[in-house]
Amino acid sequence: MSDLVVADLVAGYGDARVLHGVSFTVREGEVCAILGPNGAGKTTLLRALSGVVRVRGTVTLGGTTLAGRSPDTIARHGVAHVPEGRGTFMPLTVEENLRLGAYVRRGGAEVEEDLGRIYTYFPVLKTRLKQAAGSLSGGEQQMLALGRALMLRPRLLLLDEPSLGLAPLVTRELFRIVQAINAEERTTVVVVEQNAHLALGIAQQAHVLETGRIVLSGTAAEIRADEQVAQSYLGYRV
Amino acid sequence: MSATKVVTEPAPVRERRPPDPRWRWAGLALLLAAAVYAPFQLVPFHVFQLTMVLVYAVALLGLNLLVGHAGQISLGHGAFFAVGAYSGAILLDRWDLPYPLTLPVAAGVAFVLGLALGVPAMRLRGLYLALVTLAIAIFLVPLLKRFEAVTGGSMGLTLAKPAPPGWSGLAEDQWLYFLTLIVTVAAFLLAAGLLRSRVGRALHALRDNETAAEVMGVRLSFYKTLAFAWSAMFAGAAGCVYTWVIGFVSPDSFTVNLSITLLAGLVVGGLGSLSGPVLGGLFVMFVPSISQDVNDAAPGVIFGLLIIVVMYVAPTGLAGLAARLAGRLVKKIPRKE
Amino acid sequence: MAGFVQQVVEGLGAGAIYASLALALVLIYQFTGIVNFAQGELAMFSTYIAWQCVAAGLPFWLALVLTLAVSFAGGMLIERVIIRPVEGAPELTIVIVTVGLFIFVNAAAGWIWTFLIKDFPNPFPGGALEAAGVSVSFSTLGVLGVVAAVMGLLYLLFQHTKIGLGMRAVATNPASARLVGIRVGRTLALGWGLAATVGAVSGVLVAPLLFLEPNMMGGVLIYAFAAATLGGFDSPLGAVAGGLIVGVAETLAGAYVGVIGSDLKVGVPLVIILGVLLLRPQGLFGRAVVERA
Repeated sequence: MSDLVVADLVAGYGDARVLHGVSFTVREGEVCAILGPNGAGKTTLLRALSGVVRVRGTVTLGGTTLAGRSPDTIARHGVAHVPEGRGTFMPLTVEENLRLGAYVRRGGAEVEEDLGRIYTYFPVLKTRLKQAAGSLSGGEQQMLALGRALMLRPRLLLLDEPSLGLAPLVTRELFRIVQAINAEERTTVVVVEQNAHLALGIAQQAHVLETGRIVLSGTAAEIRADEQVAQSYLGYRV
Repeated sequence: MSATKVVTEPAPVRERRPPDPRWRWAGLALLLAAAVYAPFQLVPFHVFQLTMVLVYAVALLGLNLLVGHAGQISLGHGAFFAVGAYSGAILLDRWDLPYPLTLPVAAGVAFVLGLALGVPAMRLRGLYLALVTLAIAIFLVPLLKRFEAVTGGSMGLTLAKPAPPGWSGLAEDQWLYFLTLIVTVAAFLLAAGLLRSRVGRALHALRDNETAAEVMGVRLSFYKTLAFAWSAMFAGAAGCVYTWVIGFVSPDSFTVNLSITLLAGLVVGGLGSLSGPVLGGLFVMFVPSISQDVNDAAPGVIFGLLIIVVMYVAPTGLAGLAARLAGRLVKKIPRKE
Repeated sequence: MAGFVQQVVEGLGAGAIYASLALALVLIYQFTGIVNFAQGELAMFSTYIAWQCVAAGLPFWLALVLTLAVSFAGGMLIERVIIRPVEGAPELTIVIVTVGLFIFVNAAAGWIWTFLIKDFPNPFPGGALEAAGVSVSFSTLGVLGVVAAVMGLLYLLFQHTKIGLGMRAVATNPASARLVGIRVGRTLALGWGLAATVGAVSGVLVAPLLFLEPNMMGGVLIYAFAAATLGGFDSPLGAVAGGLIVGVAETLAGAYVGVIGSDLKVGVPLVIILGVLLLRPQGLFGRAVVERA
């Protein structure tokens, strides 16, 4: 079992605490959506999971403790984080960006194979392999970021606002791919989204975060059904 | 980055417990009294050494305006020092100007040069300013050698030192010491006044946050250039006094090593504090003369290590360290309520 | 005409040396955003190590290999011990620390090996290649060849190895590099080690032409700065091109501009630095925006 278990997670920047004891579990192979207004601590939560910010509390993945480890070590444990702003290596080529995703893996043949797989998910990337990643459009860069994350063959995929700055059609396509990946690779996904409707569409579970605390948890269907919740917490009409 | 961060901003010691101004004045008066008394107790060579400490202190005062208060880097302040020294020397040598008049002229020349160089230099980010000033300091030496007719070339210029007036009853070394002391006190008063004025506040705003300073309406390039020019002026004045005291200038006295030593002295003495330049002057003077007995390279080894260590553990230098210690002492003394 | 070509050739020879030190500066700048004022002194120190090895009776090329290895380790060590604690500190702090390192290394070399000049063996044969009235000394050819080889090796490292890819990733986006599992700290140390190695090459190339003494690289450093500024501090290729241009410009200015002559040539880098910074701050090959995450 490779469940993600988060318990009493406290995190912040310097003296400013952002997360005040967050607990939840994501079962292996499930998609978990983290919803909530701006400034609720969603991005910080992902950063805490991938080790970018210092934490107190428990984070384990399949029994391995992640809390307190450095981001590069956590990545080596199979956690791929697509950060806010996508983390593209702008002057490097598309192919180099993808290969960097597999930086910690050994085995050339498998990596080549995975590159092929990424191209089937994102055919547009294949046509731009030798281009500088910075020359891609926003949607293409998001795909590249996702592709880079997949090159790790992650056990856990952390997605921060994949829809940010993208056209609705592109966003929908992207979520379709995330769903396909989740289905085919059995990758556990934690996705932070403003667009609750989209996120709930692919998630099994969801948590609503507000000012650093989880104020509501449930299955995606439950959260979606709760119209009052949707209005007060998500600012979004069902 | 997880590493501990070292910040050059002064530790917030002063904010926590401002020293009683009366104590401060008393301390300064005591220091001044000691400074006046000292030359009558010391042998001429030591008087000369103290004089040089003051000369360096004036130059460091200028460098401190730029580095400590405005947060700009100069690796070439020796060049302005040299310009002041040569201005004074040439005026004495060619025009037989009475020496008190050489000081304002030398300071003025350095100021104008600082202004002229400051205009292009200040469009540069901090790092590039360091490069440009370093290049200037390196370029100055061959330049001085080239214009031999005026500068005396590699041989330099030898001048008569200011003679003590008969009424004073002072020896030459004492007279030079008092001349330097007067310039030093004037320079400190000027610098203190400058820092308390609008200019000083603008400089601090620059150092602490350029963007915020600009938003607040501080005209960035104007004040940077001004800081550069003021700072050059102090260095130039120090250079002129140097000429009085030594009675000799030559290009090899003003190599890039002088610039680097000045920066080193200031860092060790204390960036951004008023007493830093004096402590720095003591260092620039005495570390080499004492440690050179061990090995020619010893001053460099000590300076190099000290700079690095100071940047790690006490970015405010000896002056900051002293203030911190004083603060701790004051805390220990129970106060009557 | 032959005289002019002769001057250009000599300029290229000098330029190749500036290029190699500029390359070292650029390597460190790319990874850490730091301009290492001590780079020249580190190169000088490396050269002394080579001299010591040769003096102890080792054959030159073995001494060189040993020197490069020691320099690499030394560069990494310096990053770990001296630079790491001030990483992310204001520029002023970092510049002052590298200046401190400059003073320290310079003095340490003087302490160990004294300030007396030493002869350093020239690895290249004497004599020259003559063609069409232009003579190119084997020494100049050797210097150009070595710098070209260093450039080629660096190109292979950066473009065709996984470590090189990781290093470029760290240089462009350290935060994201960490997220893909790259050990950023180790990579930065690697960058310093590499820079120290390249610097050592330039020191060993300079020493036979000048004399080996603790202040040997002081003069070269300012030319290397001019080269890196001209080429762009974030472009290794630019550093090499910049170095060659600076070398040629300096030699030509010294030979043909009467006012400058041989003594004021050191004004050339100053003019180049000022000119580039005012007209095209990113340099000829640099990226216009060098915002660092």
